[in-house]
Amino acid sequence: MSWQVHLPALVVSVPLLGAFISIAMVKPRLRNLWFATILVATTILAFLMWRYVAINGTLVYVMGGERWNLTLPSGMTLPIRIIMEVDAFGAFMALAGSIATLASGLFSVRFLDRVNDGNKFVALFFLLFAGMLGLEVTGDFFNFFVFLEIASVASFGLIAFWRDRPEAIEASFKYAVLSTFVALIFLIGVGILYGVYGTLNMAAIAKNMQVGFLEKLALVLFIVSLAMKSGAVPLHMWEPDAYGQAPAGVSCFLVVVGQASLYGMFRIAFSVYGQAFEGNVLAWVIIVLGLLSMFIGVIMAVIQKEAKRLMAYHCISQTGYMLMGIGLGLLALSSSQAMSEYGFTAMKGGIFHIINNAMYKGLLFLTAGSLFYATGTTNLNKLGGLARKMPYTTFMFAVAAAAIAGLPPFNGFVSKLLIYESSFVVHPFLAVVAMVTSILTLASFVKVFQSGFLGPSRDDLNNVREVPLSMVVGMMVLCVMIISLSMMPNWVLANLIEPAARDLVNQASYIQAVMGSGL
Amino acid sequence: MVLGTVYTGFGFWNVYAWVMFFALGALIVLFLRSTGRGDYEKGTYQDEVFYGGNPVPQDGEDLAVPASSSYWGFTKALSRFYDVLVSMHTGILSDYMGILVVTVAVISILILL
Repeated sequence: MSWQVHLPALVVSVPLLGAFISIAMVKPRLRNLWFATILVATTILAFLMWRYVAINGTLVYVMGGERWNLTLPSGMTLPIRIIMEVDAFGAFMALAGSIATLASGLFSVRFLDRVNDGNKFVALFFLLFAGMLGLEVTGDFFNFFVFLEIASVASFGLIAFWRDRPEAIEASFKYAVLSTFVALIFLIGVGILYGVYGTLNMAAIAKNMQVGFLEKLALVLFIVSLAMKSGAVPLHMWEPDAYGQAPAGVSCFLVVVGQASLYGMFRIAFSVYGQAFEGNVLAWVIIVLGLLSMFIGVIMAVIQKEAKRLMAYHCISQTGYMLMGIGLGLLALSSSQAMSEYGFTAMKGGIFHIINNAMYKGLLFLTAGSLFYATGTTNLNKLGGLARKMPYTTFMFAVAAAAIAGLPPFNGFVSKLLIYESSFVVHPFLAVVAMVTSILTLASFVKVFQSGFLGPSRDDLNNVREVPLSMVVGMMVLCVMIISLSMMPNWVLANLIEPAARDLVNQASYIQAVMGSGL
Repeated sequence: MVLGTVYTGFGFWNVYAWVMFFALGALIVLFLRSTGRGDYEKGTYQDEVFYGGNPVPQDGEDLAVPASSSYWGFTKALSRFYDVLVSMHTGILSDYMGILVVTVAVISILILL
């Protein structure tokens, strides 16, 4: 037995261990070293897990069982223990999230020198990391709720980390109230399914799923709660406040945490309900949420003058692309012809957009953090001419802005191209909205570039210097990822995206990994 | 499979073709730049900004277009739309909760009925 079968447990327990030990760290240098070590270690574990799943297929892990893969002990028809189930989609999400988290952590190391509560920051950061990865590896509804709450509580603390600023406290409070409300309705949904099926395991519920009124009600509660957590319009209003007030490294991290909620929505829609949910209503709900998020997000971004709020609105807009891409896949789920005609291409676009957004949106937040570190503000009216003083930040901002705007040859173009072409088959209006969104994205980042980096130097910014090396390295990680994803699109599609899309569509294999006999 | 080529099912796209296109563009730009005058001297009157014949402000802040003025025409033309949209983003938590409840209701009607 390879030690790698324990990877689903390790990716959650290592950052959890990191969180508890970091509280006891006395010396800041030792704590920073611990911070970087756990970040790197967890990212390596996530990579190994992705590699293991790519070679061996879906990985199932039973916590506290007689054997790590004994999902159904003799005489049992339903799994009772905590089961983690990692297919190519889950492993892909964990890998993408870990890389962005590593970058945001490295960026935050220097930031820790400026605060007195560095240990608490590191502890909350690792709790959030464990919560995010837990969401992506669990195969159990109740544990999904638990990890959702771990991630949420850690987020509240991190968003309000500048606790001497009333705006930060207010942003965190709003998010806390909304998040707690949706967590409770998610829990009601879990309770409904437990009441009907007597189990909390997703694969077991999927195997026995017969969609009636209660199942539909649970689905509504799941979709709404996870749409709110991922910042889909019209449930997005907490996001500009929260992302705008959190430290930049945390904002970058929250992007991938939001994507973990999207993962949950897609997992439930495809792997738990799948074709048992008849009709196209669910798919169209997700597509319309995507359309609204794309357009409203970007149109609000255009008028922002605060860089991090502007980027937060773009985050909402980019979530729309993912929702639309995967929603189109869901629309085609019941027809193999539609799936081959446009559905699979749309899903590839949506999933590719997940990793793209994690990289370029994360990098954009980090560049905004650099601006704040160097100038003390992210108000674009108070910035200008920084390209000469901050060349590395400027270069990396330009790369990320070009990528998010979907300019060729960057990675954002590839995922958007797949979404444009597949959505056009369903209805040209969908493709038009996606393209207009992309144009407005470019327009708003041109504004940021012009206001922040170009133009003559301002007297009050004469003493501005480039940010320290560790922050540049954090940004560099994501910049290198963007360029790599851009230069090897077919490798990425073949090895990362297509296996993830195939496993997401293949409900039978998801069920079989736990229940043995499939559908 | 051609290196760097993405097949979308409707067509294809090659990243290296675009990289070559940009490299070619950069070469043309560099060539045009090299044909410029050679007697340019940095730090002389040749460096001075032409500001419509007026004295150039000392502080760059007085020269730059602030971010809040960007796309003025666009936002002015869509001002009615923006008025509605911005008024929805009140920043008041109870409003956000209201929108959440309404969204639950709408999605419930769509999925349950």
